[in-house]
Amino acid sequence: MSDHVDGPRSIGDPPADITDLFAFTSPMDPARTVLAMCVFPSAGESAVFSNVIDYAIAVRRVSVAGVGNAAKFQPAEQELRFTFRFEVLDRDAASKVIQRGTCTLPDGRKISLTVNDEKGTSTPEGDCQAFAGLRSDPFYLAWIAATLEKAPNLLQHDNVLCMVVEFDTHRVLDPENGSLFGVIAETLPTEPPSRIGHPVARIDWIGRPEQTNVRLNNPALFGVADIRDLWNQQTPFEISKDLQPLFLQRLKDSFTNWDMRDGKSDWTPEALAANANVFLDDFLLFDVAKPITDESHLEIEKSTIDGRPYQTGGGRTVDGNSIDILLTWLVNRDRAFLLGGATGATKPGTKVFPYFATPNTETQTVTDSVELGAAPDDVWSVIGQFNLDWHPLVARVRLIGDGLGQLRRIETRDGGEVVERLTEVDNAKRVYRYVLIAGIAASHYEGTIEVLPKGSGCVAEWRVQYLANNQPDIVVRTRVLTLLKTGLGSLKRRFAAAA
Amino acid sequence: MSTIMEIDHPYPSTTDGEIAAINLQSARRGAWARFAQDARLSRAAEAVVEKEVLTAQFLGDLDALDRLESLAKQFAEADDSFRAELVQAEVASTTHRFDDARRHLARAASMGGSQEEIDRHLLSINQACGVDLDAVLAARRKIAAASGSLEDLVPLGAALADLERFAEADSVYRQALGSYDDVSPIPLAWVCFQLGMLWGELVPLPDPVLAALCYRRAIAYLPGYVKARVHLAEICVSQDQPREAQELLVPALSSPDPEVRWRLADVLIAQGSFEEGERQLDAARLGFEGLLERHLLAFADHAAEFYAGSGNDHRRALQLARWNVANRPTRRTIKQAHAIAANANEAPGAGDLGEACDAEVPA
Repeated sequence: MSDHVDGPRSIGDPPADITDLFAFTSPMDPARTVLAMCVFPSAGESAVFSNVIDYAIAVRRVSVAGVGNAAKFQPAEQELRFTFRFEVLDRDAASKVIQRGTCTLPDGRKISLTVNDEKGTSTPEGDCQAFAGLRSDPFYLAWIAATLEKAPNLLQHDNVLCMVVEFDTHRVLDPENGSLFGVIAETLPTEPPSRIGHPVARIDWIGRPEQTNVRLNNPALFGVADIRDLWNQQTPFEISKDLQPLFLQRLKDSFTNWDMRDGKSDWTPEALAANANVFLDDFLLFDVAKPITDESHLEIEKSTIDGRPYQTGGGRTVDGNSIDILLTWLVNRDRAFLLGGATGATKPGTKVFPYFATPNTETQTVTDSVELGAAPDDVWSVIGQFNLDWHPLVARVRLIGDGLGQLRRIETRDGGEVVERLTEVDNAKRVYRYVLIAGIAASHYEGTIEVLPKGSGCVAEWRVQYLANNQPDIVVRTRVLTLLKTGLGSLKRRFAAAA
Repeated sequence: MSTIMEIDHPYPSTTDGEIAAINLQSARRGAWARFAQDARLSRAAEAVVEKEVLTAQFLGDLDALDRLESLAKQFAEADDSFRAELVQAEVASTTHRFDDARRHLARAASMGGSQEEIDRHLLSINQACGVDLDAVLAARRKIAAASGSLEDLVPLGAALADLERFAEADSVYRQALGSYDDVSPIPLAWVCFQLGMLWGELVPLPDPVLAALCYRRAIAYLPGYVKARVHLAEICVSQDQPREAQELLVPALSSPDPEVRWRLADVLIAQGSFEEGERQLDAARLGFEGLLERHLLAFADHAAEFYAGSGNDHRRALQLARWNVANRPTRRTIKQAHAIAANANEAPGAGDLGEACDAEVPA
């Protein structure tokens, strides 16, 4: 491949891409609050944080400035920030990659972290604890938003990088001066761009879930300009006054569309406008003096718009069904709950810190073997060849290269194609290993074919290990098992089976 | 014109190159996992293509091309919409099967694919093939003026370089560097590489010192940038710095790119390690032939250069060069064919060029 004139359309840094923000009461201690942000959608198991990004969670006290059709939540000027920053990679004694970082608390204290340390780190005072690392994606989206068709969880088996900070609510937030808060998360370069006069470039930010993809960029609104980039350039808590009318109109248009998705109008124009006004001020509301549950997401906004005192702490828990709660509100104003195609994420949250489930990285192993009455060398002379031409499911194999690193391009009888590379061969021990290059939906895929002496005959064994990055992995497992069983089964016909 | 000082001034911090490479591989695997979930998921296939192209271009993982072919086939089986045609077009372009790409784009257009996206693809193909370069330049200017983004300025710079407007190309590349306000090191490494190519290979009087500086910057941003290492190693060899060249190439040996072994072979032989050098040369030859068997059009030019040089098979070199010209008759490919023919003592006349342009690429 020579000079490649065209390059990537857009090369962002995936660990700068925020996926979610959470605010909830600690399941382990009701006197503590947990704030968490997730980044890097569909992160693989080796994902790490950027060393030049400030991952910040910013909290402001909020007051209710209007109710009913005048509903409004006013954030204060003062801000409390929790900032995560990470270092370049290091190696441990076993040469495994490790990454360290710090979480800077609002009062300036720093918590040192090691990424993926399940226990996290606490302050010496014990009033704050922080964690950063790969987690199973807690978000689930089980709708085709454009058509409101139910679907399986579109993020099933995904992982994300999470940052979690748990703290003494009273000590950090001083709720006696007001228990209602608004929180956002943002990613900022640690160093502003070098261009003279260029403002600090925020890379991404989030308040309530799905402001950009569901509310501002409603996929069922056709022919409208995509204003997500314009929104992402806004300063959280301080949306540009010049652009507020533009965003407000888009929210109204979007909400009008959502209201009619079920063919029934549940929103008066005034209430819809109030709804849009509330969502224009995009920060996640939570009240630390009231219970935050899996069902309480958006309750503060909804009750206030409906003109009644809110009863819960709102917020957003790990297992909260935020999408169905939102869609139910937008489509039918909570007349009848809309349940999507899934009732939970790949894994539920946990009751112990850091509250987000371990990542989806289980290695799968598929093994099959067959006892044969033939001498090991006889069997090895057939299956020890990398060309796989003894396999009944193989239509054609092309070998490329020679020795270690040799490739085999397998065309199967069902029209599939698999490419594998020889990585190790030991004819004395009658074993070879190979890795997958392409053709099967799995990663870290390694196969081993081996012939072991047994009595007067031998055992031919075929073993494949792979990383189950998808759920259900039954698709990969079935394909691999078929390959193994059919292949080894054919050897029984070629060589007499052991008595 | 760039000066050493201008290239060397401090740039914004970017994510560490090792982190960026790990995360690119991570994102690539994540994209495949989503595609495996359901191939028809919105942007699932497209995300795989994006990540595999980046992996091939910036990390030297040429197995990505095989994975892309596999993806295109799987997606075509799962999805019969214009999306599949667009994905196949992109994969075909990546492997320089430009005629195939045009056919897929035409089908995508007839099936209702986005005309803007189709036009972008066609623009890239025309640029790669040296077709209607003035129109390509005009289009690139318009796109770059509208976005001001690095990703649109670099192809503009490349178009200017193709038209041998080197000073302007340099200016646009530097504008691209200045426009960048994100944190990924990959785009900046890309621009530095383009500047290295411009000053090291494209300008009439190459400036190897400046080119080396640019390549070093690219590698500083992205240590796993195999192509940058290879190009810088070439300069080191030409400057009689074989040890430095070796230090650049050895860390890249895990890449399947045979050019790494080729250049290393040259370095080893130059230092008197003949046996090891020949071994690397054999491995390079095997690697090139393997790539040509799977992706002839994508590697014809590099393989031609190999066989015209240390690979020492001038007939093979000329054959490959002619196929390359037939596939994409740009000024550079024609110059390469000229140079190889001259080197092979086959003085190119109008007839030879005509043969080269008419040479049919094997199916």
